[in-house]
Amino acid sequence: MEALSGFGEALVRLASLETAFHVAWATLLGIFVGSLPGLTATMGVALLTTLTYTMERDAAILVLICMYVGAIYGGSRSAILLNIPGTPASAATALDGYPLARQGRARHAMALATAGSALGTMVGILLLVLLAPPLGEAALRFGSFEFFWLAVFGIVISGQLTGGTYPLKGYIAGILGLMVAMVGSEGIHAHIRFNFDYQPLNGGIALIPAMVGAFGFAEILTVMFAPKGHVVGTRGERDRILPRWSDLWRYKFTIGRSGVIGTLVGIIPGVGEDIGAWASYAAARRTSRERDRFGKGSLEGLTAAETGNSAVVPGAMIPALTLAVPGSAPAAVLIAALFIHGIRPGPMIMIEQPDFIYLVAVMLLFATLAIAVFGLALTRLFALVLKVPREILMPIVFTLCVIGPYALTQRVFDIWVMVVFGLVGFVLRQMHYPMAPLVLGIILGDLVDKNLRRGLTLSDGDLTPFFTRPISAVLVALIGLTLVFSIPVVRTGASRLFGGGGPRG
Amino acid sequence: MIPGPATADRISAVVFFALGAAMLVGGYTMDRLEIRQIHPASIPGLVPMILGAALMICAVLLFLGARRSPGEVAPAATGSIRAMATAALLSVLYAVGLVGRVPFEVATALYVTVFMAVFSWPAGTGVMGKAKAVAIAAGFGVVVSFAVSTLFRVGFLVRLP
Repeated sequence: MEALSGFGEALVRLASLETAFHVAWATLLGIFVGSLPGLTATMGVALLTTLTYTMERDAAILVLICMYVGAIYGGSRSAILLNIPGTPASAATALDGYPLARQGRARHAMALATAGSALGTMVGILLLVLLAPPLGEAALRFGSFEFFWLAVFGIVISGQLTGGTYPLKGYIAGILGLMVAMVGSEGIHAHIRFNFDYQPLNGGIALIPAMVGAFGFAEILTVMFAPKGHVVGTRGERDRILPRWSDLWRYKFTIGRSGVIGTLVGIIPGVGEDIGAWASYAAARRTSRERDRFGKGSLEGLTAAETGNSAVVPGAMIPALTLAVPGSAPAAVLIAALFIHGIRPGPMIMIEQPDFIYLVAVMLLFATLAIAVFGLALTRLFALVLKVPREILMPIVFTLCVIGPYALTQRVFDIWVMVVFGLVGFVLRQMHYPMAPLVLGIILGDLVDKNLRRGLTLSDGDLTPFFTRPISAVLVALIGLTLVFSIPVVRTGASRLFGGGGPRG
Repeated sequence: MIPGPATADRISAVVFFALGAAMLVGGYTMDRLEIRQIHPASIPGLVPMILGAALMICAVLLFLGARRSPGEVAPAATGSIRAMATAALLSVLYAVGLVGRVPFEVATALYVTVFMAVFSWPAGTGVMGKAKAVAIAAGFGVVVSFAVSTLFRVGFLVRLP
């Protein structure tokens, strides 16, 4: 009941023409960003953060959330029409979306993807409103020991799930991220580490330039490296542009299940939309009656993937708001943006700004309505956008990658950071190292470092409380289980037992 | 020539091992701040030491598992290294070489023009065709540079580099 009234109050507070204007442009921009290969949701949110400094708090957060939701949805466009996922989140969408487009049912596929995305986000919003307040209260019981293990768990599970068939690379990416976070002034004694007598390193490596490099510049190089895609035409197609109610009704269980799976995947730290989509897709394939059509143009597969990836967005906001631990890479940027705009995410949020979670839920709802409207009304326009040649788009994107991080601090050093992360990120990506644990490592490095040392100081150097406090013990057990599952023999045995998972992109 | 996945893993394992060792030594030799009488368990080098050791262990596992790593396609087989290397070179020259040395507007116009001209170069056409391509690229570069600079300078009050 409290949740409902909080939600209602937030709805009234945000309902204005100005809000509608921000929702409209930011979501539309998000859909464009998501639909263009080379522009990811993370990069969109990171670049847009640099443009929101001068905005009022609520408007700035609203714009960023609309960009996030729009970009995750927009990725389905290029997945369906080009067979190139606009964002990694849409890799599973391409499996069934592209075959549908080749069968001349591109618009139907896009309509269903729109409905799936909107419904998935709705399920996620519901769970956000229900789960975030109790989780926020539970987080108040977290001490240094628990926060240390939570951060370690985030890195381990993110490495495990995003590393695909080879989790070791995920772990290495996570450790590299943590190492980056060790550069500069540390949080307990203000001792400067690893600055190599170079002054700009004293403040550490900022998250935004690192992320714009790893997700922006690296993506540009990936796009230039990849062969050009070919857009499947939609002109002259007589296919419907609205989803059929009968389809949605037929797949109601798939939608509900994918929504819940997506949200739960979102809650897991650093495990983003792509895993949400794959997990939902795999679950749908396992239980579907049209199992043999999966991968050849199954409407159910498409619905599962799109519902799953969109539900991750509200899910990822749950730990981001209540624990300051991002559920996905774009959520990591959102945390940075929240700090910039004077909001301190973490356990205290339910005490300091209890209405903020409901505000976020309403913002997500508005973004969802916007993707539904734009998605169904502007199908042809989005198909045209995909035809923008990469030699026109990529230099513009790189220009924004250069000036965006610079705008934050006005330091040329941040541009160099972006370039280094872009080049290293590209090489690591080519070698199948996932970027999400790396980013999570950068953001959680401070949490790991401070809480380990603070905990050890509190216990006078004794390690016992790290293992005996109840929440710590649970987290240690989860970390142990995750590590055991990354051993190839155990994984093979487990997947034989449970019947295998989805393919990984 | 780009090494195959197993070789690349082995090379990167060696690099990671060295990085981990450097971090471990860096953490170990880091100032323990005894002069400030801090708790010995809260020395700044503690976490870097742990991370260094963890990366070294992962590097060893990566090296040992390189042969068993799943059959990934060598990057050379899938894309155009030339296009990627050209894009990387132009972008790095712009971001590190030009920005901060020449006015942002000029640097951006140059970068966008050259990038577009290089990647849409009409190899098979005559001088007129090539001149036209360069002119279009230059026009596009000026427009993009003006739009981005104005947006950040006037819209977001950023003093451009």
